[in-house]
Amino acid sequence: MHPEPATDIAIDIRDVSFAYARPGAEPLVALERVSIQVRAGERLGILGPNGGGKSTLLKLMLGLLTPQSGSISICSRSARDARRARLVGYVAQRVEAELTFPISAREAVLMAIELGTPPWTGRSRASRDLAADCLERVGAEALADRPIGSLSGGQLQRVMIARALGRRPRVLLMDEPTVGIDPSGQQRFGELVARLRAELGLTIVIVSHDVRAIAAGCDRVACLSRTLHYHDAPAGLTPAVLAEVFKHDLAAVFGDVHMDAHRAAECDAKDHAHTHGPGCTHDHHANPHASPRGDGA
Amino acid sequence: MNTLRYLTQSPADLFWPGVLTLFWPGVLTLLIVTAICSLLSVVVVLKRMAFVGQGVSHAGFGGVGVAAALGVATSTPATLAIVLAFCLASAFLIAALSRRRDTKPDTAIGIVLVGAMALGSVLLHLAHEWYPTERVPGWEGILFGSILFSGWADAMWSAGVASGILALATWFRRPVVAWAFDESAAEAMGVRVGTVRTLVLILVTLAIVLAMKLVGVVLATALLVLPGATALALSDRWRAVLTLSMLVGLLGAASGIVISFEADWPSGASVVLALVAIYAAARGVRAVSGRR
Repeated sequence: MHPEPATDIAIDIRDVSFAYARPGAEPLVALERVSIQVRAGERLGILGPNGGGKSTLLKLMLGLLTPQSGSISICSRSARDARRARLVGYVAQRVEAELTFPISAREAVLMAIELGTPPWTGRSRASRDLAADCLERVGAEALADRPIGSLSGGQLQRVMIARALGRRPRVLLMDEPTVGIDPSGQQRFGELVARLRAELGLTIVIVSHDVRAIAAGCDRVACLSRTLHYHDAPAGLTPAVLAEVFKHDLAAVFGDVHMDAHRAAECDAKDHAHTHGPGCTHDHHANPHASPRGDGA
Repeated sequence: MNTLRYLTQSPADLFWPGVLTLFWPGVLTLLIVTAICSLLSVVVVLKRMAFVGQGVSHAGFGGVGVAAALGVATSTPATLAIVLAFCLASAFLIAALSRRRDTKPDTAIGIVLVGAMALGSVLLHLAHEWYPTERVPGWEGILFGSILFSGWADAMWSAGVASGILALATWFRRPVVAWAFDESAAEAMGVRVGTVRTLVLILVTLAIVLAMKLVGVVLATALLVLPGATALALSDRWRAVLTLSMLVGLLGAASGIVISFEADWPSGASVVLALVAIYAAARGVRAVSGRR
């Protein structure tokens, strides 16, 4: 849609700090001097525990919050200007959409495309074609006429991505995109993200508390827990880094591990046998020594 | 109603001048108000605003109390303006309280609802002491309304306000629908969600004030809930739901008037009962057709 040279910086976050004001109490610091640069066409995963500042950073990138210090620029514009110029697409957490809404997948995409068009205009052929194109790009063309409430988690996620693509963005921000999606769906999600990057030159940022979702399809990972703890390739994401970021919330790192118990047990068993020896009865699912790429993504 | 029935021995009698003045303004007003309420009810149901509507409509009782205490004659534009202002203030108070972290929305609605009802009750009591009885509206009329007390001026007023609501809802349909579907995503797409929320609250309040005179403060929200809930039970297509909601509302209003006329029941309650019956039938159709 708007391909850019791979060397450009699409998102430039410099020394950003943000605290939420609390009446009668000290401000709650959510982010402290965070700096992240994302090149155009790069896939960045932002990983961190609940309350670690991921959603705050997302809101800052969307221009819905203003940093108290530091700056954020997206495609060389302020975050707010970039959002208003439709440069930023956003895929919200699935649970936030009203799924009893009486619309089809196509209408959900058209809703995003037509937003901001003059109220006296009707539905144009161009809008219909764009909606069809967006649905086709995410492999959801067969779902176009299905009611939104009848879609499975994975199908709905693809439609929501098509909806964001309908705004013709350069940057795509996704909030917890793999929540409630089974392991095979997560793998397909990784493939979809890679395809969107290749076909559209999109810069993609995925925010998640689930290391599997991040490792499945990102070029670099930023680990965030109020401050930036790590910002590099997923391969360097060691158990020590994860332990530092997630503190006592290590079970959350492996997210929906119970849905992938068999595969998780397989990869954990290697480390487990190595660390504790055979016959140990520790809970494998919460094992901090499990590989972050243990799902083979 | 007995008088009307006495006057109309055949359908042609409905156009007799006496009946024309007594019967048709109320029916026309009801159909206009029901149509606009039915349209809004789809958003009210989808955004789970039914209880907000209940709070705002009951706040109208407080507004009537204020108008009575000020000595404003009933059924005048001044009364309507006072009730509207009171309902809008209550709607914004509910919204402001709901935004506080220490107050949940249902608590905020409950507080405003009972506060306004209690205030209205006290002010009506005082008005009865201060003014002649004919200048103070009766309890039953406020709580349950009366369709036949509407004149042509009411019909014109209702048509004007309903046209305004329809124009605003059409003009802002895209941001309103995006907000109703997914508030966070809409905000990220540039929709000013606070403004849209305020706009919808104002439109719903206007519709409630229109409905209040016809079916009373207790039943006003029925027109803003039942048509939309029925249409959503019957279809999962947006345009079909909007059309069905309007048709259901008009069918309920028309059949309620007929029931009221034939059985000599209170008109507002008859309309609401007709709408409840249509809703129950729609749920039955949905169950038989196997839709979840």
